[in-house]
Amino acid sequence: MPFKLPPATKPVLRAQLSSRPANGHTAFIPQVRKLVFEYSEKWPSSSRTRTYLNNHLEELARTNPHVEVVVQQKNHREPIVRGFYLNGRDKVISLKEFEVTQIQQKVQLLLDSSGAKIKPLKRRIIESSTESARGIWSGLHVPELYKI
Amino acid sequence: MQWQRSMFNLLKFRGVCQAAARALHTQPSSAASALALIRSQPNQYVIASLAGRKYLLAPRDLLTVPRLNDVRVGDVLALSEIHEFGSREFTLRGDPLIPQDAVKVAATVVEHTKGKMEVIVKKKRRKGYVKTIKHKQPYTRLRIGSIDVALPDQV
Repeated sequence: MPFKLPPATKPVLRAQLSSRPANGHTAFIPQVRKLVFEYSEKWPSSSRTRTYLNNHLEELARTNPHVEVVVQQKNHREPIVRGFYLNGRDKVISLKEFEVTQIQQKVQLLLDSSGAKIKPLKRRIIESSTESARGIWSGLHVPELYKI
Repeated sequence: MQWQRSMFNLLKFRGVCQAAARALHTQPSSAASALALIRSQPNQYVIASLAGRKYLLAPRDLLTVPRLNDVRVGDVLALSEIHEFGSREFTLRGDPLIPQDAVKVAATVVEHTKGKMEVIVKKKRRKGYVKTIKHKQPYTRLRIGSIDVALPDQV
């Protein structure tokens, strides 16, 4: 077998060239990009949605300039608000028979979210991609060797 | 200069043999040099308390705490209760806190979410009492920014 020389330059492994996501570390990019309101013109389940769209939508769009706000008329359908996020997912909330204050709460929920799937967060306190600063203890690198 | 003197009294040192020998030469003479020692190492961590609980934080971490209602998505918070600031071989512990001029850590609010739906069933036997409660705990997620250490000339 011919002897293989090691490469002259250190090979660049492509995995180490990828970046670790850290939205908010230096710059924060809001994750919600579009809100679509669908309502019916005649049906009574949409009546408060229509009131909300007439009275509160403009202010919502003005206070959230990063969000694209779209209004669609969908007759013979229940009212809906759909939020689109930068990770490609969308969240749909039905506004059937909702009062104006309830609609405001649901819209705020969509604006606050990041679009990630709902997962159990009770145990997930810190999610870190950095190695620990103090390193991992080793029984061989200690003044007296650790005996099991 | 008050905080420098008080911090110097509290410098805690730990490390392996080699570091011990090395550090006997480099035992810091002032708090500012202690900070510089920690700063010179590649990675640092901070133990800070937020919402009444202590967390061990490093830059770029995503911290999940129970919902903070006074805060909006995108706001930047300065951590005001920092108990410890350390690196691989050295730690600086505050009494009980490290002054904010010395070490600054910022956290950005990334989102307000809710956890998974929990179904709690309450039942009493032989009494016909069964109650089902559906609950989603609200949380706030924060991204920890870089740790800013005061330089000796800045004090």
